[in-house]
Amino acid sequence: MTRAVAAGLLLLLVVACTTPEPPRAQAGAPESTACAPPQGPPREQAPTTIDVVEQAYFCILDRYYRAPVMDPRDLLVAGFAALTRAMPEAPLSLPALTGDRRADWAAFETAYRKITDREDLAVVTLEAIVAALGDDHARWARDPGRPPGYYDGDGYGLGFQVAGDDPLFVSVVEGGAARKAGLRPGDVIENVGDPELLRPGYPDARPVELRLRRGDRRWSVTLTPGLYPRDPATLRTVQSRVIDDAVVYVQVRGFSPDAANRVFRAIARARAGRSVSGIVLDLRGNGGGSPAEATRLVSAFVHGKVTSYLCTVDERCEPGQTDDTVPLVGLPVVVLVDRGCASACEHFSSAVKDHGAGSLVGTRTAGLISGPAQPFLLRDNTLLSFPTRRHLGPNREVVDRIGVAPDHFVPPTPEDAAAGHDAALAKALTLLDG
Amino acid sequence: MRRTLAALLLLTACSAPAPPRSAAPSPRPPGPATLAAPTGEHPVGTTVLHLTDASRPDPWNLDAKARELRVTLWYPSGRGEGERAAYMSPRESELTLTGSGAGGVPPDLLSRTVVHATTNAPAKGRFPLVVLSPGFTKPVSTLTSLAEDLASRGYVVAGVDHAYESYATTLADGEVAECLACDSDTDPGFGTGVVATRAADVSFVLDELLAREPALIDHTRIAMAGQSIGGASTLAAMAADRRIAAGVNLDGTTYARLPRGFARPFLFVGTPEHAPGGRDNSWDRDWKLLTGWKRWIVVTGTDHQSFTDLPQLQPALGLKPLPGAPSAARLAEITRTYVAAFLDEHLRSRPQPLWKGPSARYPEVTFQGAAPGPPSGTTDG
Repeated sequence: MTRAVAAGLLLLLVVACTTPEPPRAQAGAPESTACAPPQGPPREQAPTTIDVVEQAYFCILDRYYRAPVMDPRDLLVAGFAALTRAMPEAPLSLPALTGDRRADWAAFETAYRKITDREDLAVVTLEAIVAALGDDHARWARDPGRPPGYYDGDGYGLGFQVAGDDPLFVSVVEGGAARKAGLRPGDVIENVGDPELLRPGYPDARPVELRLRRGDRRWSVTLTPGLYPRDPATLRTVQSRVIDDAVVYVQVRGFSPDAANRVFRAIARARAGRSVSGIVLDLRGNGGGSPAEATRLVSAFVHGKVTSYLCTVDERCEPGQTDDTVPLVGLPVVVLVDRGCASACEHFSSAVKDHGAGSLVGTRTAGLISGPAQPFLLRDNTLLSFPTRRHLGPNREVVDRIGVAPDHFVPPTPEDAAAGHDAALAKALTLLDG
Repeated sequence: MRRTLAALLLLTACSAPAPPRSAAPSPRPPGPATLAAPTGEHPVGTTVLHLTDASRPDPWNLDAKARELRVTLWYPSGRGEGERAAYMSPRESELTLTGSGAGGVPPDLLSRTVVHATTNAPAKGRFPLVVLSPGFTKPVSTLTSLAEDLASRGYVVAGVDHAYESYATTLADGEVAECLACDSDTDPGFGTGVVATRAADVSFVLDELLAREPALIDHTRIAMAGQSIGGASTLAAMAADRRIAAGVNLDGTTYARLPRGFARPFLFVGTPEHAPGGRDNSWDRDWKLLTGWKRWIVVTGTDHQSFTDLPQLQPALGLKPLPGAPSAARLAEITRTYVAAFLDEHLRSRPQPLWKGPSARYPEVTFQGAAPGPPSGTTDG
């Protein structure tokens, strides 16, 4: 553990020492509205006040990639609407907004201060302003801390993973309420369409009622979110095995800061002393992470190409090139994708697909890749993060909200899940065999 | 205002004391280290066993269908027998130095460290057993100073090298297992997984040792101690195996869920960072769950490696101790004294005055947590 801690410290030092760029306060902007990337370790959170909301509002307008084409009034209207919902009894009305961001903020703040100085209302307001961006990579949250009784590796929630589209079904039972209720892979969920409703995060502990079907049997259960232990072996970010002594299978659960090197080492070890015909990269459920790692992983399969573009709203784009110092693996690769493949995972998948560096098998990816999220430190020591540039694929195509379509559509089914059959992997092995 | 603050942060970060062990090596490092001599009455013998658990695959090496462990035994022996043992092999030294980022010294330097145990010495009697588990990436030889001392005081010590969790472990066939587990040490659940693996390792080692060495080991008196993740593994192993009657954790963040009513004696030995209410809350959490004899001591001026051989190896490596740290000899004395006092108290039923509270002889040692037992006062332990 020390090693990890020491590495973390080192990283902090490096980050701190190699960020000479001064906080980017816009010339003439009041001190309180400047926002800068965090430097050094996180500090204890302070109360979220209306001044923090103000800082976040101007931070978004200064740095969010879409801000130049946004109407700033939309943010204030969203914030104010949330305020009225939180205080139904208050005689709130929104003052006239002119479109001048400073004058409008002043009017908003005056109206706000007349009503309240409650911290929780500043939280509600700021959450609504961030949500109004409609951008999955725009986030602000006060850290709820660890659930009491938490042990390293524990999960929080209902205790199962979900797959499928219409209908949703249980793909993996991890533990917790789902295991206690006897759920099994393949159980169809008939009353919930949005998978997010099945992924409550701490401190959300509201019970969720499920109507389930297994074959002809139908029943209902109520599951309460909670903490549960998980098998640590299943949590490793990179896991590999050799299939039929011929194909290297590598599962990558996320693009952690060392993910690419771990994949390369796994492939090298698996190839030692045997002749291998191909590689399956399983990126299903890979929620993303470091774009640099996605780029490095692409670079093991193709050189001299653009893996993505980062663009301003007026289409000034910077290409992200493959890292041609990464040795080419020199084997055919099949990438397994699904709607759980998001962000950096889609960066990787779109580059592999556009350059014909491998085949994609499974279902369309998430379409959650507006752009790499940049963190900014607010005065209450919380982090506000959002993209300062948008992501485009290697052909300058928009991947956000669209996703990446597989070359071979192999959807997961409840029947396969119940039988423990992995149809996408079977398809991948067929492709590598031919 | 904001600029000043940012500048200050930069300054603080960049002028923070250089990370502990990486001070510039002095131009001509002295020769290899000699470990502190054991303090007990017995000469010490040592031998290495390679044990293979065929019931489970190795968790790190996908090509290993069985879990192989290397166990170093230190035991009370007859006098003047055998050759002086090696600290580690030259190859293990090289890999350990490289892995730890220590440069500027001959790669075989650690292998020339002078120890006090001899090989092939006959055992002398039947003794309680202490299992030792090292910190992550560290071979168990980094606990040699403690192991030799305990053996000289009348304990059989079984130091376990958990293969692929250390920079270097020489296996039965002569191959050196490197740190495959290092690949995943930032993953969620990593610590939880390691301590579960080590608990299984230790249960297997106990099975084997008790079957092989009935004349040497008193199977009714078994304890375990470990540093860092080895200390965390001590709690995990005790939770899983009732044969382990008592345990010591040298500054390891803990991971195992403890069963209700966990009443076997336990000792936490921490650096000042491991005081109650500190950044790592795992000891606070476990402290409440321990219902038997327990102590939580913190040693002033120590860092995470202070309870291992490292302070004694530092001069040879050209490294300087942290400012304010007790001397290497003093750290060895404190570690040996308190671990032995714990074992004497619980494996030999010899009450130790040291546990009554702060001692004038060891002012560096402070007692934390609400310990049961007699009111604390300065004693002459």
